[in-house]
Amino acid sequence: MSQSGKRKADLKVIILGDYAVGKTSLICRYIDGTFRKQDSTVGAAFFFKPWGPYNIAVWDTAGDERYSGLSHFYCRSAGAAILAFDLNCPKTFESLWARFGSILDAANEDCLKVVVGTKSDEVDEKTRDVSSEEGRRLALELNPDLDEAYIEKAGAPYFETSALDNKNVTEMFEYIFQRCLPLSADQHRRYKGKTSTIDLLEQSSDGGGRKKCC
Amino acid sequence: MSIKAFELVPVIERVKLMSDKAKTQIECLDVCGKNMYIGTSDCFVVHYSIDERALANGRIVYSSEKQGHKYLVVKKPVAQLRAASALNRIMVLCDNTLTLLNMFDLEPIVTGAKIKGVVCFCINDNPVRTNPFSVEICVALKRKTVQLYTVTEDRMMHLRDVTLPEQAVTVGMDSVTVCAALTSQYCMINTDTSQITDLFPIDDNVQPVIKRISKEEFLLSGPSALGIFATSAGISQRPPMQWSDGLTAVSFVHPYIVALNDEFITVHSILDQQQKQAIPFVSGVFLGDFDGRIFVASSREIYSLVPIPFEKQIQALLADKRVQEALELAKNANKTGMSREKFVKMFKRIQQQAAFIELSEKNFDEAGQLFKESEIDIREVISLYPHFLPSSVNFTRSVPALHEIADINQLSRSDEETKAAYKVFLKEFLEDIRGTSITHGYKLEGDVALLKLYAESWPEKLPELLADDPGCDLNDCVTWLERHNRLYSLGLLYQHHGESEKALAVWTNLSNHELLWKYVDWVLEKDEELGVKIFTERPANEPQSERLRPETVVDYLHRFPRAVITYLEYLIFQRRLEKEKYHTHLAVLYLEAVIKLMETNGSKKEELDIARSKLRHMLQMSNLYRVQLILGKAKEKEMHAECAILYGKLEEHDKALRILVHKLKDFGAAENYCQVNSRGKDPAACKRLYHILLSVYLDPTYERRDTLVAPAMSLLNNAEAEFDNVKVLQLLPESWSVGLLSQFLTRAVRTSMHNSRMTRIERMMARGENLHVKQTFIEMQRDAIIMTEDRVCAVCGRAFSDPTFVRYPNGVVTHVHCAKNKYICPVTGRLFR
Repeated sequence: MSQSGKRKADLKVIILGDYAVGKTSLICRYIDGTFRKQDSTVGAAFFFKPWGPYNIAVWDTAGDERYSGLSHFYCRSAGAAILAFDLNCPKTFESLWARFGSILDAANEDCLKVVVGTKSDEVDEKTRDVSSEEGRRLALELNPDLDEAYIEKAGAPYFETSALDNKNVTEMFEYIFQRCLPLSADQHRRYKGKTSTIDLLEQSSDGGGRKKCC
Repeated sequence: MSIKAFELVPVIERVKLMSDKAKTQIECLDVCGKNMYIGTSDCFVVHYSIDERALANGRIVYSSEKQGHKYLVVKKPVAQLRAASALNRIMVLCDNTLTLLNMFDLEPIVTGAKIKGVVCFCINDNPVRTNPFSVEICVALKRKTVQLYTVTEDRMMHLRDVTLPEQAVTVGMDSVTVCAALTSQYCMINTDTSQITDLFPIDDNVQPVIKRISKEEFLLSGPSALGIFATSAGISQRPPMQWSDGLTAVSFVHPYIVALNDEFITVHSILDQQQKQAIPFVSGVFLGDFDGRIFVASSREIYSLVPIPFEKQIQALLADKRVQEALELAKNANKTGMSREKFVKMFKRIQQQAAFIELSEKNFDEAGQLFKESEIDIREVISLYPHFLPSSVNFTRSVPALHEIADINQLSRSDEETKAAYKVFLKEFLEDIRGTSITHGYKLEGDVALLKLYAESWPEKLPELLADDPGCDLNDCVTWLERHNRLYSLGLLYQHHGESEKALAVWTNLSNHELLWKYVDWVLEKDEELGVKIFTERPANEPQSERLRPETVVDYLHRFPRAVITYLEYLIFQRRLEKEKYHTHLAVLYLEAVIKLMETNGSKKEELDIARSKLRHMLQMSNLYRVQLILGKAKEKEMHAECAILYGKLEEHDKALRILVHKLKDFGAAENYCQVNSRGKDPAACKRLYHILLSVYLDPTYERRDTLVAPAMSLLNNAEAEFDNVKVLQLLPESWSVGLLSQFLTRAVRTSMHNSRMTRIERMMARGENLHVKQTFIEMQRDAIIMTEDRVCAVCGRAFSDPTFVRYPNGVVTHVHCAKNKYICPVTGRLFR
């Protein structure tokens, strides 16, 4: 990750949410494909994810209250934000309204806000406090400029995920990427499934424009 | 995780000030070339000259000499002090007033230019306007404003103001952006547009620190001891860094961020944001980097933080087997001003060292990867495996050594399993790089090693390796393949080197007949006569095998006519196999060859002669072939000489001789025939044979018998020929004169006379011998033997009771029943005969 600070990201995605809702786990599941116990994040951390020809910087923030001053700063110029809450803890959902709504003012104006419920594996449908409907409503409310047609086609920016069961995680990230940096069907085919392997021929054909790492 | 990246070296042990009062303390300092300027708490500016020297052992030492000092009268501490060498000035902030002093004599400038009400200031290290004889500074005023000035030798020209919501506590500047720590938060100020971008709040208990670390990027001290990176645009491109509490100053020398707090100097890497080193340093008051040199001051002493050379740091990491960190550090070493080539060379070497470490740790994947990336001289790797380098290659490992590994025996501590794992590694590595640029120039070494590995443990891969042009050294590989008994491959190797003979020799020795069969085709197609040696030159002590039974071989060789002849010759003449089948087969083949030659027009006479003489020799020598079969064919083709031999085999001498005499008119051959066929037979049969010949000569039915008179005569006169003279005389025509026969007749009479005389002599001699024996017998019987009572038998030792006894010629006397054999003395074992 050392060199990553130097690479230019084409899209900045930031994940926000209360302490211990599972933000880092969510990212780890997507980037590394694993689930493990995470220490609480200090300040912030970030990861690079190639998306077709693009680079996406995924910023993980610390949910701890003492870092809330920083969240604002790290949100700056974010093209998309993941607002994570614990499906089993209504307080974290409320925080999204209370705490993080305003933080996102620093992000890009057209910032896509995706509301994500985590730990869906622990949800008991009978006793669940935050309904899907509420989540969906918040998502739509936060994204007033999403047009009806798009929502009709791709769905609302609301996901219920489980990093443990790897449920909806990839779908959620790809929803964001596809919205912010759309790939054509052709690009999809070319890059799909190759993200972890380097195709030398592929690189040489379009690598000319990309900056070298050092 | 710790590295030793820096070393603390004293520069000025105790600042000699004018008055040696205890309260004089260092507040700030600046270094500009060899000049060091120190601002003290009691309003002095002191000038030192410092000299940096490297000792023979590589250590850096400083010597210093005080140059002068200046008392600024106001009795306030010197808050900030910066030298501007381009202007020969030092900027001093004392008592909220920024003034300029002459760099050398420390006297105030004559114009007396000053700025009042200054909280802090900074120099723009990346100014937009580039006048080399001016310096752009940013000044934070008490009245919630930052101001930009251009400072020249004697003036400070005001450029612009930006009004702030709060007073700035500390500032940093890059290009047009000022990064300022206000009392409650950090912000980025674009001085062109006066736009202020808020960053994040400053906690009450954190001392704000702003450090420009690169173009348009600052490092700020954030809440909860975080170091936060921020660009001029107000965003972050690096994750934050966990710091220690209570930081007072930060410096940056790529790739390390050095931070000072009350107790420690901590070193962090910007590469992985981790802390690398902590140097205890109590009550530090100042830390700064000046042209890449870091100086740190406590209240009375000044030290330099001397970076330990990259190489040394990396070597230290490698010594600790912290390969990843070493590589990470090495990757970034090119930012230290090393030339590209030098860097690449250095980096590769480190990769190689790392690779050997990984290897010794049995991290084979990593090791292989590193070896490949660093384009290792593969001989370095192979040389770890005793005897794997070709003996013809003279290789000494690189000096200084890349590793301390003697060989894999040492690595594996002679544990066979581990050793095997190392061999698997080498195999995979060599297979992997085979044909790539790494092996360039060392194909021989690589292939030889691979061959040796295969020979040891992967014999099935050998043919494949040998099939596509291995650059193998012959001698070495031969011994190796022989040792491991990979004879088939050895043959292939020879074949590749164009030494078909040797290849054959090897395959001939193949004890594995299955393998042999696999190979025979190729050989025979290439050269039948050589190829057949596989079968003919078998080792003498080879056990018999079903697969190499002569029948099988003959059947197999069917489509190689010359090979089958050679093989049959081998069976018949050398192995002396007495099987009708082979003999007939060979005879037929010979015959066919002859017929073929006869039928081809213009074939050379010599060839035909050779072929026929071979056939004749075969027919003559062997008694086992089917005569009738050959005879039929021979008759058909009018091959008289052969027919004659065949008739001879059938004991039809008359026919044979008739052919010789009448058809071939080869009288010598006819006589020879008699001689050959009479060999080893009794004289009567011999005489009969000659007689047949003579009668053929004298055959009255043959119309041209006149021509045969001469040979008949020569036969009669031949000393070798034996005749029954009486029969000859009966056979001879009446008309022949005695004169013609005189020679024969004389000889016949003489022979007859001779025989009669010889017989008589023999008879007389036999009679004489008979007389002599009789005489001896009589003499022996005449001796008297006196038998007494005490005479005992020489065999049983008992007395004689009968009148009969036995006496042997040597005087031994026994009972009759004790004498078992009258010719053998029972006591001495002597034989009387």
